[in-house]
Amino acid sequence: MIAITHIGSYLPENRVSNLALLEKFETDETFIRNKIGVVQRAIKTQEQKASDLCIKAFENLTTKIDLDAEQIDCCVVITQNPDLNIPHTSAIVHGALNLPETCASFDISLGCSGYVYGLSILTAFMQANGFKTGLLFTADPYSEIIDPDDKNTALIFGDGATVSLLQADQPGLVALGYDFGSKGAGYKNLVNENKLYMNGRAVFNFTAGVVPKSIEKLLQKLKLDKVEIDQWYLHQGSKYIVDTITMRLGLEPEKVVFNMYDYGNTVSSSIPMLLSDDLVNIAAGQKIGLSGFGVGLSWASAIFEMK
Amino acid sequence: MSKVTIEQILETIENANLVKDVNALDHTKPLREQGIDSLDFSGVLFNMEEAFGIEIPDADIDSLQTINDILVYVNKKLG
Repeated sequence: MIAITHIGSYLPENRVSNLALLEKFETDETFIRNKIGVVQRAIKTQEQKASDLCIKAFENLTTKIDLDAEQIDCCVVITQNPDLNIPHTSAIVHGALNLPETCASFDISLGCSGYVYGLSILTAFMQANGFKTGLLFTADPYSEIIDPDDKNTALIFGDGATVSLLQADQPGLVALGYDFGSKGAGYKNLVNENKLYMNGRAVFNFTAGVVPKSIEKLLQKLKLDKVEIDQWYLHQGSKYIVDTITMRLGLEPEKVVFNMYDYGNTVSSSIPMLLSDDLVNIAAGQKIGLSGFGVGLSWASAIFEMK
Repeated sequence: MSKVTIEQILETIENANLVKDVNALDHTKPLREQGIDSLDFSGVLFNMEEAFGIEIPDADIDSLQTINDILVYVNKKLG
């Protein structure tokens, strides 16, 4: 049994305020707070690359648990903004952390659905190979691809990274089941060709249409009722989209976590960023729901239980 | 499909998670001048598409300013 046992995270210290951009984008503070849900964005330095963010997240992880690097069997990085096209960023992280030569390393190219996909992939990889300890990094520094004059994207994304420690036969969050899907025909609605382009309406329609159905399908498969889920961690796309999914699924709002006001949408890091703070407060037997959605267009939902 | 009524349009707008009292909306005034921002409007359009089984292309959005515009548009789409 593979469980998420600890999560480390990193947010760059530098913040850029959205409130300073109200006039430029002809918007107001109410819209920024209540609809976008990002008051300021965490932005890395120009010199920092995805691997640097991962290493900072790992440093944070080591403040939470004594970790023997020699015991790490695999190192996976989820990113679509790698340090370089060649090699994979996980190789750079592997080298920087002096991980053993026996440690398998690979990247996963996914956006906002990446963390949930990554949990399933890494768990299966570890089980198939008898691995005991794995690191799942998320780091997608969108500040490298944002057009600062594009209202559709400039107010949303922040930089950050996380690392989830997956361990065999240890207490932690264990997956009860997953639901995955893709609408590749819509990929052009969220695409990076020199700079990020997002058709906000198309992405909203995709999310509002697909995500509630994915979660309902998963609950049905697991024979669970939504009231049995103690907390929901939905990808923090915007406050509006999280509120929309909450309403369409009929979830209790107090069970749906939202908090990216101070740093922005960190793409595949958004769910583990929240969990890095909350993990210690999840009691044995409690269940949480996760759903990531976006680039692809792609989605992945999961239910986990603390065991 | 039978003709869509103004009440159905209002109900669909209400289901878009708006804080406004839909009954207080002026049917002839642009929704964006009545506190419905761009995100709310995306939600309204999505609910229209879902409720009435229609597709609203981006090119048609500029013509959909008021509740009356939407009522006429939806009924035209449904033929």
